[in-house]
Amino acid sequence: MSLPRALDGIRVVDFSWVRAGPWATRWLGALGAEIIKIEWPENERGRLPSSTTPQDVEVNLNTSGNFNDTNVNKRSLSLNVRSPKGLDIVKRLIALSDIVIENFSSRVLQKWGLGYEELCKVKPDIVYVSMSGYGHTGRNHHYTTFGPVAQAVSGLTFISGLPDKPPAGWGWSYMDDTGGMYGAMCALTGLYHRNMTGQGQHIDQAQMVSSVPLNGPALLDFTVNGRGARRDGYPPGNRAHWPGTPLVNNYRGPTVAPHNAYRTHPGDYNDWCVIVCHSDQEWQRFVQVMGQPAWATSPKFATLAGRLQHQVEMDEGIEAWSMTLGKYELTEKCQAAGVRALPVQRSADRVEHDPQLRHRQMYLELEHPALGVRKIQNAPFKLSETPAFNHLPSPLIGQHTREIVEGLLGVSHEELLAGYADGTFWPTTRKRLPYMEEMLQ
Amino acid sequence: MTATQTLSGPLAGLRILELADEKGQFCGKLMGDLGADVIKIEPPGGEATRHVGPFLDNSPHPERSLSFWHYNTSKRGITLNLETADGRHLFWRLAASADVILETFPPGYLPSLGLDYDSLGAQNPGLIMCSLTPFGQTGPWRDYMTADLLHMAAGGQMASCGYDEVDAPGAPPIAPGGGNAWHIGCHFAYMAIMAALVYRTVTGRGQYIDASIHEACALTTEAAIPNYIYRHEVVRRQTGRHHAPGPTPRTQFRSKDGKYVTALVSGRLNPRYIKDLAALLDSYGMAGDLTDPKYQEPKVIEAHRDHIIEELVANFIASLPAEEVYHAAQERGFTWGAVRAPEELLDDAHLHDRGFWKSVEHPELGRSFVYPGEAAIYNGSPWYISRRAPLIGEHNQDIFCVELGLSPQELTMLAESRVI
Repeated sequence: MSLPRALDGIRVVDFSWVRAGPWATRWLGALGAEIIKIEWPENERGRLPSSTTPQDVEVNLNTSGNFNDTNVNKRSLSLNVRSPKGLDIVKRLIALSDIVIENFSSRVLQKWGLGYEELCKVKPDIVYVSMSGYGHTGRNHHYTTFGPVAQAVSGLTFISGLPDKPPAGWGWSYMDDTGGMYGAMCALTGLYHRNMTGQGQHIDQAQMVSSVPLNGPALLDFTVNGRGARRDGYPPGNRAHWPGTPLVNNYRGPTVAPHNAYRTHPGDYNDWCVIVCHSDQEWQRFVQVMGQPAWATSPKFATLAGRLQHQVEMDEGIEAWSMTLGKYELTEKCQAAGVRALPVQRSADRVEHDPQLRHRQMYLELEHPALGVRKIQNAPFKLSETPAFNHLPSPLIGQHTREIVEGLLGVSHEELLAGYADGTFWPTTRKRLPYMEEMLQ
Repeated sequence: MTATQTLSGPLAGLRILELADEKGQFCGKLMGDLGADVIKIEPPGGEATRHVGPFLDNSPHPERSLSFWHYNTSKRGITLNLETADGRHLFWRLAASADVILETFPPGYLPSLGLDYDSLGAQNPGLIMCSLTPFGQTGPWRDYMTADLLHMAAGGQMASCGYDEVDAPGAPPIAPGGGNAWHIGCHFAYMAIMAALVYRTVTGRGQYIDASIHEACALTTEAAIPNYIYRHEVVRRQTGRHHAPGPTPRTQFRSKDGKYVTALVSGRLNPRYIKDLAALLDSYGMAGDLTDPKYQEPKVIEAHRDHIIEELVANFIASLPAEEVYHAAQERGFTWGAVRAPEELLDDAHLHDRGFWKSVEHPELGRSFVYPGEAAIYNGSPWYISRRAPLIGEHNQDIFCVELGLSPQELTMLAESRVI
């Protein structure tokens, strides 16, 4: 592709692992930055354990499917930064770089001699993004998170579920995805500021803290009105209001009905559609789509107040109709008539059936040396002059050590060999992988 | 004003024109809180998002929507009717010196008014324009109508969230609350706009961004898509924990105060962990037989997995308030957390230490209210809320008279003819 990319010429030294940090740098890579992933197999987490290796492929450091999708657009340098020689090499690399990103627990890199103040000595305008669980300041800075814990502690888990049931929460590490977003957003913001002012800075992004503003209206309802979310009828599942409970805004948007998920034909695990009517007019259009069944034409459903009051009966009527249609057929009928409806889509639906995602080329293929040709998730935005795209599969561990150390830093081949012999570039106790042997020829 | 506020935010000097409803207002807030001069352009009478509750003192009014307050901090506000020639002329003048236009209208609406990127960009080559829409500017679903709930369905969030059959028989897939489809779209839009701004610092050139909320949501389900692509496995929903192709042990336990604790135990059950776990439980006299040396054998641990999780851990958590379990466990290195309702965050000492809560003045009410603050601390250019959300047309005079040079009489005339 001949078009330029937004971050051409930007180099990122990426100490991140597991999910949130790598998800951040993946996008910087898609935008054109050169991402150098610093790895060490002895304390690697992200490649292993792997539950996404294809059934017919051996599980090892280079075969996690989730790792592949999370780490496209990067190169890998295997380096023991906790050895004096490794520390020297990574500092030389940082001196040639624009951004450092790490998602260790707070202050770990400081202990290794790679804190912000130290790195300013080798690169005064470095943009240094720390992505930790709780941040680098505050009494709980040493606490640790995974996505589910950040979600629990910040209030995000609580707002998902049915009333009088345990929280349903989020079925994945939403705050690893979203923490990754904030990491990338902070890096880009810091980079913009550096380009405008010449000043770098340290950005202390915390997964648990970043979650909190996502509950803004609920928090203000408490700080302004004194009303908490621990109350009857909250959270109201997929509804805007739970029948028979006090009528209070649910912090998702306007209080309307219908606003729910309904089973569709043939009634399997993911055969559901959601339908929402924002106005009486939308309701009347929906009644037309349903073929004007007698129950729906009753005046008691003609007003929002009536639909909220008789929500249970209305939802039963809607589901009797929705069960007669497949979820895509229902969606098309409703949308053609100006009624808000979309199918619940599982992963297979999105990858194989969603006509919009296909049209927008959401899943394009890339070849990975160990996993073969695979679909990779694409950017959800199209920049007219500098399109973001996935251009490299995820790296094999240590795959690019030679080209980075010799090519970029000008280290001699003899020094590279010595570094492999003394455990700087690969643990001496661990068998080298075949591509490393080739690298050392 | 605190010491940090004497520094400008990282986006200081940028002028953003925001034409956004619920889909894009959070992106504008992020830019405003980070120092950009965000001008929110609303239709005369105010944006529809002002009618979303809850409201101050439960009294519905376009100046009292707490949702609008939260999502529109650090912005200035003007009114402008783009469907009038005068309105378009004024917008054209504002666009001439703007850095970014963020808009969430249905695809084709602004071009139908002659306000397409090619025309606006011709007079301002550095202009960046981001259209953040439900499905993007092209494709078979382009004109479909949406809502947060619809995006959570089609994006895959619902297919991953819900209940074990035993907890809620026949429960539907659940869409988490809070309007997160809009957050997800705004995070990606912010990223795209910042990338375009960085590119502009090098080349001086702006560009057009077509961002899709559906695509952003479809990306935001972690391993669900890789599970399918690499193993053809489709995940199932489980109460309060990760989706998975097959059932996994529970991680959410009821505490003594009727709340819940998220304790990720299974998958970590090795001798070292058992030792630490026994010490934690023992400090409350709840270790049971876990201090028995037999638990230093991996096979024994595996054989007693249900006993450890369903009895020892569950009973321990059931004996204490959620907050106490959370802090006691974290202090000993366990990645556990209390499941808190949003309002319980106000008591979080760690957030207070970080200066997270901000008092925001509402001078027209003679009151100040506490708002959630910054997601990250920038040590060289702070992220902070510079002002409350604008009142309807609050800055019409500043922008139209002071900046564009209209006379007070002209402003009156524009108001009378519903242009502003």
